[in-house]
Amino acid sequence: MTMSTQRHAPLELHTGGIAASHVAVRLALFAGAASIVVMWWLDPTAVHGAGAAVTAAGRLAGLLGAYLVLVQLLLMGRLAWFENAVGFDRLTAWHRGLGTNTVLLLVAHVLLVVEGYSLSDHHGVVSTGWRVLSTYPAMLKATAGIVLFGLVAVTSARAARRRLSYEAWYALHLTAYVAVALAFSHQIASGQDFVGHPVNRALWWGLYLFVAAVLVRGRVVVPVRTWFRHRLLVDRVVVESPGVVSVWVRGRRLNELGAEAGQFLLWRFLAPGHLWSAHPYSLSAAPDHGRLRITVKDAGDHSAALAHLRPGTPVLAEGPFGHFTLGKSFGSRLLLIAGGSGIGPIRALAEELVLRGPQHHLDAVLLYRAGHARDLALRDELDDLAQRAGLQVAYLVGHRSELERDPLSPDAILDAVPDVRSRDVYVCGPAGMTHNVLRAMRELRVPVRQLHSEDFEMA
Amino acid sequence: MTALAGPVRSRKPEEAAARRARARRVVAFAGMLTTIGALVGLRASMTPAATQALGSSGLAAEAGTNQPTHTSSSASKSSGAGNAPRPANRVVVGKAYDVSYGIVQVKVTLKGSRITDVAAVSLPQGGRSSDISRYAGPELRREALSKQGAHIDTVSGASYTSAGYAMSLQSALDKRGG
Repeated sequence: MTMSTQRHAPLELHTGGIAASHVAVRLALFAGAASIVVMWWLDPTAVHGAGAAVTAAGRLAGLLGAYLVLVQLLLMGRLAWFENAVGFDRLTAWHRGLGTNTVLLLVAHVLLVVEGYSLSDHHGVVSTGWRVLSTYPAMLKATAGIVLFGLVAVTSARAARRRLSYEAWYALHLTAYVAVALAFSHQIASGQDFVGHPVNRALWWGLYLFVAAVLVRGRVVVPVRTWFRHRLLVDRVVVESPGVVSVWVRGRRLNELGAEAGQFLLWRFLAPGHLWSAHPYSLSAAPDHGRLRITVKDAGDHSAALAHLRPGTPVLAEGPFGHFTLGKSFGSRLLLIAGGSGIGPIRALAEELVLRGPQHHLDAVLLYRAGHARDLALRDELDDLAQRAGLQVAYLVGHRSELERDPLSPDAILDAVPDVRSRDVYVCGPAGMTHNVLRAMRELRVPVRQLHSEDFEMA
Repeated sequence: MTALAGPVRSRKPEEAAARRARARRVVAFAGMLTTIGALVGLRASMTPAATQALGSSGLAAEAGTNQPTHTSSSASKSSGAGNAPRPANRVVVGKAYDVSYGIVQVKVTLKGSRITDVAAVSLPQGGRSSDISRYAGPELRREALSKQGAHIDTVSGASYTSAGYAMSLQSALDKRGG
């Protein structure tokens, strides 16, 4: 009766420890960077004098910057190996963390190369820069490319993201592909490591083509294939409470999709205003009824607009993603902690538990943290689930300033759940809450392999 | 004691997380630059001293400053006195420039002030440099002849050689007035 398809690697991956496959991904990425350094090292240019040294540093910065750009694309390429070993949320975090530094490395490349030439030529930096721009092949394109990269980085900074709509940010972010193409031509046409180096040039082309293939497959072919296989359509839109909307999605052969409670998909609704953005939303119900459900709190223009979706609207979905699942061998003693939008997946897990409960002597506690009672979403459903055997639900309501203590502090958790150490703990909520809860759990000496969390703050 | 006494950082956990992420990024970037610097330093220290002696800077450093540019004339004094001086073929050798990959030096054949031929005395040799010199040399000669000067376009993929070629050519042309 339930989905038992286990698509993903074991749960330990998301418990804060670093699993072997995770290390393998990091090692592979470092090995790629190391081979770039080897290629640079083998170039016969003699490095003598300040000018040549600065130029050489600039070239290496450019090569590594270009490599990091490709890594950035690959992290978002929905590569099955990466998704299984690292997880979508962490890949997104890596992408975000690397973004600024990638662009800074490219800026360093430009400055160092121009400064290096200027030192060697005994010309001013500005005139050297102009000479490079006007004489070297494909340099105008490369300049346009780095301007676009800069734009992508600036608009992705936290402060800018707050002011930009998702759609505007996304459209700007897509220009990164144009920037990659613009920058590529100057690498091949002027790069000292590629001009007259057929082997390096072939490898470089191969690297770009590989990344392009991964992207086309992961971002185009697979979603389109999913559409033709499952034909997902909006089934019902339910306003749960002010500002909270659930969308039910129906489709064919949904069990083959392999989605589990606790996972999320990237949803793109084919309706005006939704077409150009895909959003990660977790399932808020156990995918058990031939339908999938997401529940969205009114957090932005997009989620508010979900209330106006018409039944029958086609849906393109990517996924499922995430390791925040019960897994095959879940213990029967659990502690679920939710905050904010994290209640969606936590509720799905609770439902899954209750559905499986009778055979497992379920003993689960659900703590739902909210600043105000009106922020509690899906409360009726949770109360309903709590009527069933084995699940207790507690609402931790109130701002910290009004309460005597933080209800998610180690002491408070221990008071509420004295046997926390023997439970599997699932935490989902805003990044800060998740972080604090995980710290509290470590203070309470809950074994790390019993901790499961998902960073809910994603692209 | 109330919860108000709690530390500030726990009041805004999101911002604390963002600060930590920012600090990690700064450290990572510093690490990248340090690695690049260390690698360049290592490479520079492994560059043979003999090459270093040629010039202190890379692109188009003058290698031949203490090696005088000489002008030779194939036109002989035997062209006879009394006649209007017939333009004679002169060969002027330009300065040698160290362009990182090797030495670039050209000699120009002039008839009056007209460039009738340019020949390379030295182009970078060895490995890939030989290949580049093989295709860039004829290209640069053609350019120089058609432009009748040193303002020649950079040959794609041979930017150092092109720059050196142009400078050596210019140094030769500077001498032609005499």
